[in-house]
Amino acid sequence: MPPAIHPVDLIEILRRHRLTPAIVFLTSRRACDEAIDTFAHSSARMSTQRSEAIREFLEKFTKDFPSVEHHPLIPVVQEFGVAAHHAGHLPSWKIAIEELMRQGLLDAVFATTTLAAGVDFPARTVVITQSSVRKSQDFTDLTNSEIQQLAGRGGRRGKDLVGVVVITPSPYIDLNILGKGLTGYPEPIDSQFVVSYPMVLNLLKAHSLDQIEGLLAKSFAQFQLNQRSSIHQDHLDQIKEQLTPYGPRECADWITQWKGFDLARRRKAHRHPIVTNDTPFLTACLPFLTPGRLIGLPKGPAIILRQYRSRGTFAPMLSVIRAKGTLGECPAHSVTQVYDRLFEFQPSRTIPWCQPQVLAQLKKELSQLPARLPTVPILPETQETDDPLLAEVLTEEFPCPSCPSHPACKKDFPLASKLRQKAQQLTKTIQALRDGLWHRFQQKADVLHKFGYITANSQLTADGEWARLIRINHSLLITELIRMEAFSGIAPGLLAGVMASISHDDDRPGSYMRLPSGLASMLTQVRAVADSLSPYEPPPLLRSDVAALVESWIGNPQLTWASLVRSTSMAEGDVYRLLARTLEFLSQIYGLKVTHPGLADTAHSAMVTMRREVLQELP
Amino acid sequence: MHHDDLKRELQNLPVKYLHHMARGRIHRHFRLGKHRLVELMLAFPPDQILAIETELQQILTTRQERLAAQEARAAARPPIPASPFQAKNRPPKKRPTFGPFQPSITLKQILEGIGVPESQPFVPDPWQTEAVEHLAHSDVIVSAPTGSGKTYVAIQAIRQAMALNQTVIYTSPLKALSNTKFMEFTQLFGPDQVGILTGDRRDNAQAPLLVMTTEILRNLFYDAASGEIDLRLHTLGLVILDESQYLADPERGVVWEETIILCPSQARLLLLSASIGNPQDLAEWLQAIRPIPCHLIRHAKRSVPLRGLYLHPTGQLVPLFKNQDILQGKGYTFHPETKQLFAEYEIKPFH
Repeated sequence: MPPAIHPVDLIEILRRHRLTPAIVFLTSRRACDEAIDTFAHSSARMSTQRSEAIREFLEKFTKDFPSVEHHPLIPVVQEFGVAAHHAGHLPSWKIAIEELMRQGLLDAVFATTTLAAGVDFPARTVVITQSSVRKSQDFTDLTNSEIQQLAGRGGRRGKDLVGVVVITPSPYIDLNILGKGLTGYPEPIDSQFVVSYPMVLNLLKAHSLDQIEGLLAKSFAQFQLNQRSSIHQDHLDQIKEQLTPYGPRECADWITQWKGFDLARRRKAHRHPIVTNDTPFLTACLPFLTPGRLIGLPKGPAIILRQYRSRGTFAPMLSVIRAKGTLGECPAHSVTQVYDRLFEFQPSRTIPWCQPQVLAQLKKELSQLPARLPTVPILPETQETDDPLLAEVLTEEFPCPSCPSHPACKKDFPLASKLRQKAQQLTKTIQALRDGLWHRFQQKADVLHKFGYITANSQLTADGEWARLIRINHSLLITELIRMEAFSGIAPGLLAGVMASISHDDDRPGSYMRLPSGLASMLTQVRAVADSLSPYEPPPLLRSDVAALVESWIGNPQLTWASLVRSTSMAEGDVYRLLARTLEFLSQIYGLKVTHPGLADTAHSAMVTMRREVLQELP
Repeated sequence: MHHDDLKRELQNLPVKYLHHMARGRIHRHFRLGKHRLVELMLAFPPDQILAIETELQQILTTRQERLAAQEARAAARPPIPASPFQAKNRPPKKRPTFGPFQPSITLKQILEGIGVPESQPFVPDPWQTEAVEHLAHSDVIVSAPTGSGKTYVAIQAIRQAMALNQTVIYTSPLKALSNTKFMEFTQLFGPDQVGILTGDRRDNAQAPLLVMTTEILRNLFYDAASGEIDLRLHTLGLVILDESQYLADPERGVVWEETIILCPSQARLLLLSASIGNPQDLAEWLQAIRPIPCHLIRHAKRSVPLRGLYLHPTGQLVPLFKNQDILQGKGYTFHPETKQLFAEYEIKPFH
């Protein structure tokens, strides 16, 4: 695909058609900054009169917000009337741009899509260049609501007769998604209820368990779960109705009964039974035809030397010594008599299958046989059952074979069992939907009990009383660290650094600053605690570079904002947000001034040092 | 037969007969098409042409006979009975009905409307007054697009509540928004009437109108429930939750739910939200959990109409859709020029 339109061309076309002021939504912060850079050598200047107005405004604005004074984009804004607005800028800069836009002094603002959710400043025209946004790792398509949020900026009430959406293609665009988003209905919203540790503590402080169950049942999450479960309930009712003809028969629970019977009936000893052509008599004989046994063959008596199976047909064969002393082979089925006489000898594995001297002895024994010899009584099996045990089980355990409803059961079983299985599944699902939230609450409460924040009968312990005041992410980690006295006697800078690395969730890469040794060992300690808590609370990123950054801001009160920003590769706005968030975490710790006065003092002095320059100018 | 007649007859014939005639006459005739076959046949010497003519006559007569026989058989065959699967009395297939033909909009027509309206005295929309009126005796949810005047509803509601000496709390999801609203309300109601509470700022906390982030309000409700009264809950008459669609935010949505659940029952709730798909669900939920009835105001129409344009990277500007204003729920048809330009853009390789 060819590249997207050049930003300067875009603005000139918009100006020509009286489509300014406009907001141009671009994919990334970098794209916004690059778009502004392209103006530097262009001829798309504004009238000097408006440039003058912008200059005047910025001059006045700088008095309240001095951090804007040396912003690198100011020349471009004054000369060309375009600006960038994204999360990488300081809030004061963003306020300035919004105010300029409201006064109609700017022609265009290049912004990322994150703007759409936040502060609102409308324009005549909205330019959309993409149909997908980067979320964490990959690109996802914009939803209808998001597209309408973007388009909603177009057209100012009272200032414009119509608003305009301009779509200009870039490699990140699918026209149909935008068409659908602009004309379709917004998506329904879903509850995102999560039970957190501070929530459990705070609810337990004021309410009994029964009351809490009632409160959770009042949540929108439960409302939506109930909606879903009522759909399942309808389905279940239908299935129960279908199951009515398959009610109790001869036995109350005939489906289970038949299932067991069916399984037992189908059970087989072997998947592939071994097939032999041996006659029943031969099968009965074989155990007796061992080496040393005296047998009768059609030609006369003989003594067995070994028993084996023939190579080809696997027929049972015998090696024998006959009365004349000759060795021979004969098939086992030619045996006519099996005598009750056994000659002991040591069989060997090679011909003649025994010691030669034994051979002579056997020959002698054969010649001295009496006329009549007792025979072994051999009873061949006559009855042929598959599995005698199974037959017994079937008749004893299951009345089914002789039951009058046997044919009906046999016919209905497949359908009935499928229906009943479905009904059981649905019942389980409904149960899970109804109790899910309460269950999650109990799980969290169990963890808190394990760590000693609540007692066995769900009362807050002394630790729980102060721990409930920490109402932020990773609260369990922070309270555990406080209980371990990990922060006792710590410098304000170190405390703030640790809090910053706990609070910072963004994984945009930052530069690696030199880490003070105290902070490094502290972070190692915190990381160990966080890892040990990982089954109960997802561990924070614990980035050491942000910790070092915040530590240097507090540890060195002479540090200026400009040199702080220069020491990292993070954008100015990100640094500001990091500090603001750290401030919020510290103020939560400051809230523990009754129980932990020393720690609260440290947090307070960190907060006081933190609030200077840029952080002070905004209320 | 005349040369042209013969040519016409040959061309009317199915190509398989031509191949039949060409056997033994044209080398590798099976590789040739109809046009070429006819051409070669007509270029034959006269005696061969004569042979072809006679063969052609034969073919034509047999063909006619066969066609006639086919027709006779078809006439003699009994009619096919209706399929048993075909449902009787099935309503005729519904064809999509198209309105009268409407030509696509032109760029000129779209650009004509752009301009600045004459300044008119502000007249509130009916839905805005309706919202304020209902707030006297019920909770209200307003779901309206961005920039359609939800703030007006909030301000009127605040006026109404403050006239009754009630405390009003206004919450927004972002600190920046809270600050903007604080400044706006300070100008409207006077600095002693407005206070602000955010994570690190606490100004004039005893004022009748308090601006805060939703997290702070949730924390206040927590503290109030556990007995550490920090807030004049008994005088609390109105809680305004701006940008309530944050209820669906994966990380922070739970705070909005908690706030609504913990909100004392004597205070009215005013939920201001951008357009969402299921505001009636929200309304039903509020109705179910709160003793006061809940009124839903759903306003989908934008106060300023929106039009679409397509800007090609070459600088060509064309209308985006076939019709003029972008309307919701009516489907969409791209303008033919947009379709063509975008198709070109998609096919072109990147240089």
